[in-house]
Amino acid sequence: MTVDATSAVCNLGILDSLNNSSSVIELLETWNAFCLSSQSLVSTHYSSNSDPSLARDFASQVHILRSHGLQSLIQDHFLSLIQQFFLSNGVSNFWCHFDAYADIVDTDLAYEDEVQQVLHVALEEITLEKQKQERCLTMLTDALQSCKDTTSEGSQKSATDSAYLSSKYQLIVSSTLMTTLPRHFPQILHWYFKGRLEELNTSLDEEYQDLDRLQDDEDMDLDSKEKFFNEKSDMGSDKSYPQGKLLENNNLVKNIGKVVHDLRSLGFTSLAEDAYASAIFMLLKAKVNELAGDDYRTSVLEAIKGWIQAVPLQFLHALLAYLGDTVSNGPHSSILRSPLASHPNSRYPGTEAPSEGLVRWQLRLEYFAYETLQDLRIAKLFEIIVDYPDSSAAIEDLKQCLEYTGQHSKLVDSFISALRYRLLTAGASTNDILHQYVSTIKALRTIDPAGVFLEAVGEPIREYLRGRKDTIKCIVTMLTDGTSGPGSVGDSLLEEINRDEENQDSAGLDDEISTDDKQAWIDAERWEPDPVEADPLKSSRCRRKIDILGMIVSIIGSKDQLVNEYRVMLAEKLLNKTDYDIDSEIRTLELLKIHFGESSMQKCEIMLNDLIDSKRTNTNVKTTIKQKVQSGVDHKENEIPMDVFDATIISSNFWPPIQEEALNIPEAVEKLLNVYATRFNEIKTPRKLLWKKNLGTVKLELQFEDREIQFTVTPIQASIIMKFQEQTSWTSKDLAAAIGVPVDVLSRRISFWISKGILAESFENDSSEHVFTLVDEMIDSGKTVISSGNCEDLAADEDGDRSVATVEDQLRKEMTVYEKFITGMLTNFGSMALDRIHNTLKMFCTADPTYDKSLQQLQSFLSGLVAEEKLEIRDGMYLLKK
Amino acid sequence: MATINNQDNSNNNRQINNVASSKQPLQSAKSVDTQSVLKRLQSELMSLMMGGDPGISAFPEEDNIFCWKGTITGSKDTVFEGTEYKLSLSFPTDYPFKPPKVKFETGCFHPNVDIYGTICLDILQDKWSSAYDVRTILLSIQSLLGEPNTSSPLNTQAAALWENQEEYRKMVEKLYKPAA
Repeated sequence: MTVDATSAVCNLGILDSLNNSSSVIELLETWNAFCLSSQSLVSTHYSSNSDPSLARDFASQVHILRSHGLQSLIQDHFLSLIQQFFLSNGVSNFWCHFDAYADIVDTDLAYEDEVQQVLHVALEEITLEKQKQERCLTMLTDALQSCKDTTSEGSQKSATDSAYLSSKYQLIVSSTLMTTLPRHFPQILHWYFKGRLEELNTSLDEEYQDLDRLQDDEDMDLDSKEKFFNEKSDMGSDKSYPQGKLLENNNLVKNIGKVVHDLRSLGFTSLAEDAYASAIFMLLKAKVNELAGDDYRTSVLEAIKGWIQAVPLQFLHALLAYLGDTVSNGPHSSILRSPLASHPNSRYPGTEAPSEGLVRWQLRLEYFAYETLQDLRIAKLFEIIVDYPDSSAAIEDLKQCLEYTGQHSKLVDSFISALRYRLLTAGASTNDILHQYVSTIKALRTIDPAGVFLEAVGEPIREYLRGRKDTIKCIVTMLTDGTSGPGSVGDSLLEEINRDEENQDSAGLDDEISTDDKQAWIDAERWEPDPVEADPLKSSRCRRKIDILGMIVSIIGSKDQLVNEYRVMLAEKLLNKTDYDIDSEIRTLELLKIHFGESSMQKCEIMLNDLIDSKRTNTNVKTTIKQKVQSGVDHKENEIPMDVFDATIISSNFWPPIQEEALNIPEAVEKLLNVYATRFNEIKTPRKLLWKKNLGTVKLELQFEDREIQFTVTPIQASIIMKFQEQTSWTSKDLAAAIGVPVDVLSRRISFWISKGILAESFENDSSEHVFTLVDEMIDSGKTVISSGNCEDLAADEDGDRSVATVEDQLRKEMTVYEKFITGMLTNFGSMALDRIHNTLKMFCTADPTYDKSLQQLQSFLSGLVAEEKLEIRDGMYLLKK
Repeated sequence: MATINNQDNSNNNRQINNVASSKQPLQSAKSVDTQSVLKRLQSELMSLMMGGDPGISAFPEEDNIFCWKGTITGSKDTVFEGTEYKLSLSFPTDYPFKPPKVKFETGCFHPNVDIYGTICLDILQDKWSSAYDVRTILLSIQSLLGEPNTSSPLNTQAAALWENQEEYRKMVEKLYKPAA
C-alpha cells in the first residue's frame, strides 16, 4: 500500500514535468511497445532462451517506463495480463478435467481411480502453467531490479517489490481459482483423500496389528500388569518413529503430499486441509464404529487410541514432514498441548519432539474419537444397561469419554427419551422396569459418583412406577424372594442392603478418623465441586450417598407403604409355613430394620416372634396332651393322633387383617382342635385360642384301590375331599351346606380336585345343579401328573386363596368411608377439584377414621371411582355421574 | 384405642378450660360452647354421611363448619318428583339450643316457602328441640314438600293451587330452575 501511494505521487509529479510533447509521444510509443512485448512474452510463454531479443526489448522498455516513474503502471498492466491468460488457459483447462464428475453424487470404486488420475494430471498441468507464469514474473522483476540498480536506490526496497509482486500474483491465482470454483470440487477432493486414506489404513493397520501381536508375545512374560502397560505405551511410541520414517518414503504418502503441496500452492490450503481432515475423521468414525460395534463387554478406548497413534497420526506426521511444516516447537507449544492430552510428554519420549501441528492433530483426533464413541455408547445406553454387569467395560469407556467431552446432558436427554420410548410403556412388566432401574442406578453410579445425572434420569422412571399399582408388591417380592434363585434381582437387592450396611459401618469409621486434622485436610483436598448440572436446591451431602434401597423407597414416597406391603407378604409367607423355620425371614427383617428403623418394623418382628413362640407352645401343648392320653384316658379308634397337627398362634392385633371364611371341617379334626384349644387355655389362662379354620395347609394322602396319591392343599380343599369318604357323589348344594361355604366358593375350590382328576363334574338333567362324583379308577392312567403321586404344590396362586387381606383391600375398605363423604360434598357443591376434595376431607373427616391419605392415594381412589362410573372427571373437576 | 385417647384429651381440655373460667368467665364459657358445637356438628356430619338417606344431603362449606349447603330431592309420587333443591343451613354458635337458619337457595313454588326461600316450619322455629339434627331437619323439609301446611301459607298462590295437583305440577315444572 505504501509503495502504491508513493509511486502514485511520483507519477503525478513526473507527468506534470512532461510539458514537452515529443517526450510524451516517445513515452506513448514505448508504452505501446511494452504492451506488445509483454503480451507476446506472456502468450508465448516466455522461455527466456527462446527469444533473447524479446527479453532484451522488454527489459529496455521497462527500463524507460520505469525511469519515467511508471513502475506501478507497469506492474498493474503486467499482472492483469497474466491474470487474463491464467483465466483463459490454466483455469478453464483445470476445471475441465473435473467436469465429468460434476453429477456423481457418491463415489464408487470405479470412479475413484479415475478421480485420482485426473486430479494428478490436472494439478500437474496447472502447476506447470503457474511455474511458467512465475518465470515471466521473474523477468519483470529482474527488469525492474536492473533499473533500480542503475538508479542506485536501496536494494532492500527492490526486495520488497519482488515480494509484493509474487504475493500479488499468488493472490491473483487463488482468487481466480476460487471465483471459478465449481461446486463439486471439494467433494472430489474429499473422495480423493478418502480413497487414499483407506488404502493407507489397510496397509498401516496390518503393520500395526502385526507389531501389536509381536508386542503381546514379548510382553507375555512380564508379571506385573502395570509394568505391562507402561512398557506397551513406551514401546508404542518408540516404534512409531521408525515406522514414521518408513512412511515418509512411502509412495502413497508422497503422492498425497504432492497433491496437498500443489493444492496449497494454488491457494487451496484450507480447502485441502478440510478435505483430508474430514476424510481422516470419517475414517476414524468408521474405525470407532467397527471397534465399538455392539459388543459392550470389552473396553475399546485403548484400542482406538492406539489406532489413532498408529494410523492417522503416522500419516499426518509423514505428510507434515513432506510438506516441510515441521515447525520446531517454540516455548508456547507446551501450553497448547496440555489441556486435553492425558500424558502428552510420556507419549513422545526421546529426542524427536513432535511438531505443534501434530500435537494439535492428536488432540483433535482424540477428542473426535471420544465424542464419536460417546455418541455411539449413549445411543445404545439402554441396551448397555440392560446387560449391565456384563457391559461394565462399555460403561467405563463412556465414563472416560464424558470426562473429556463433558456432554453429560446429552446422555441424560438421550437416555430419558430411550427410557420413555422403550421401558416406560404399558407393555413392560413392573419387574423389568424395576430391574432396569436398579441397573441404571448401578451403571450411572460408575459414570457419575455424585449422582447428579442419576437424579435426572431416575425421575421419569420413578414417576412412571408411581403410577403402577403393583410397584410396591414387586419391590417387596424382590426383597423377600431374594433367596429363591441365584442371580435374580432380588438377590442383588438384598446384597445391596448388605453392602450398604457395610458402607455405613465404614462411614462411621471415617467420621471418627476425620476428626483428625490431617484427615480433614485430605478430605478437603479431595473435595470436588458438583457438576454444573446439579440441582442447587438439593444439598450435595444428601446426594453423595446413593443407596439403591433408598432410591427404590423414594419411588413409593413413604417407607410406611413399603413396610405395610412387606408385612402382608410376610404374613402370607408365615401362614403358609408348615415348619417353624424362619431363618431367612429373620435375616431379611434384620436388614430391613437397619434401613427403616426398629420402630417401623416392630409389627413384623412381633409376627416373627409369634412363630417362634408358636413352636415352643406347640411342643408344650402336644407333649402334655400326650401324657394325658397315655395316663389312661381311653383311646378311640377313629381319633387322629396329635402328632400330625401343628398350630401357629398369632397375636392378631399385630398381623394384617386376616381373611375370614366360615368352614366346617371334619369332625375328627374339629375335636382335635378343641382338645388343643382347651389344653392351651389351661397352660396360658386366661388366653383362649380362636381357630382360623380356613388358614393353614393340610398334607393328605388319598388311598384308592390301585394307588395312593399325596397332596398338600388348603383346609377347605381337604374338607371337600374328606366329604367324599362318606358318600362318593354330592350335589353342589348339599356339599356346600355340609362344608358350610357358599356354592360359588365351593365351585371355585373344588375345581382343584377336578383338575387333578380325583373328582368328576356332571350336570343333573332336571336342574342346573352340578353333581360331583369321585373318580375311583384311574380312567386316564396315562396322566403322569396324577399317577406319579407327587406332593402337589399348594394352589395358592389364585386371588381367592390368599389368607391375608391385601394392602389394596385394606385401603379400599378405609376409603369407602371417604367415598360417602366425597359423594356428600359433590352432591352439595356440584364439582370440585382434587385438592379441594383433599382439603375438605382433611378438614371435616376428623372423627374415626381420620383422613390421613396422601393426595396421590386420593387421586388413585377417585380414578377408581371414575372407572366404576360413580364419578366423572371434567377439566380436572370431579362430579357425580348422573 | 384411638377413640378412647381422643376422649381423654377432650376431657383434659375441658378441665383446663374450667380452671381458666374462674378468671375469665365469659370468654371461656363461649369457647367451651364453640368446642362442643364443633364436636356436635362434626358427629352430625358423620352420621349424615354414614346414614345414606336417599334424597337428602348436606355438607359444610369449605372452611366454615357453621355454614352448610344442603340438597333435597323431591320425593316420589309428589308433584316435586324429579326436582332438586339447594338449601343453606347456618348454625348459631349456641347450637343445638337454638335452631339453625334454613333457607331455600333454589326457588321453590311451595305454600310454606316464600319467594326469598324462607321456610315456615314449626320445628325450625318454636318447636325446635336439641334432639333434632341436620338429618331430621332435612327429612322434615323433604316431607314438607309433599305435605304442605296450607292453613298458614307464606305463598298464598301456591296454597290456592295445591288443590289442583295437575296444575300445580305444571307450575312447579314451569318455575323450576335447577342449580347450575
